[in-house]
Amino acid sequence: MHLHKYEKIWLSFGIGSLVVFLLVLGYGAFWQGTHPQSHGITIDSDNVESNEAFKQENLGVTKVDDDKYIVNIVASAFNYDMGKDEEGNAVKTIRIPKGATVLWQVVTKDVVHGFNVAGTNVNMMVEPGYISSIETEMKQAGEFTIVCNEYCGVGHHMMYGTVEVYE
Amino acid sequence: MTTPEKLKKDENKHEEPNLKGTFVSVMLLGAFLVLSWVGVFILFIGR
Repeated sequence: MHLHKYEKIWLSFGIGSLVVFLLVLGYGAFWQGTHPQSHGITIDSDNVESNEAFKQENLGVTKVDDDKYIVNIVASAFNYDMGKDEEGNAVKTIRIPKGATVLWQVVTKDVVHGFNVAGTNVNMMVEPGYISSIETEMKQAGEFTIVCNEYCGVGHHMMYGTVEVYE
Repeated sequence: MTTPEKLKKDENKHEEPNLKGTFVSVMLLGAFLVLSWVGVFILFIGR
């Protein structure tokens, strides 16, 4: 088979890019443990409290170690339940120190919701019956809005919260 | 006289097509794909 000189160049370029892309993907998946946000960990959506992490007293931020936090949230139409503060008011702001590693775990009690901390990589779909989770390092200080980005009903636009990353 | 052998020889001898324009367009498209991929990847890593 005869190949034109230019054809050889662009074929190597194309195949080379594919190899590089697969190496990056493989590195992320096998060495860094990246996985889809919902990866088969199930929960009974009619009884999310049966899971220790989603009991009312465990919602919101929990510090597990120096610079390591877990945030548990129960989404429902049209609210993010992030637990209650000392006075019994619903928490609407999550406070995290800058540079901390946070494991976000979110479930839904009813329909499919979205969970996006706008401006960060925390962006996932929350499906009934599954625990969606993502671990990130909060690298930038500031206020970030949590929004539902899966249309979930008439009150969809009222579903939000705030993440405050302080220095 | 055209013998089958001569015909074959002529076929192999045909001139190479000019693929310069194709090459440039393929590389431009490739550069666009690579740059957009790298851009998104940098966004992902930086956030």
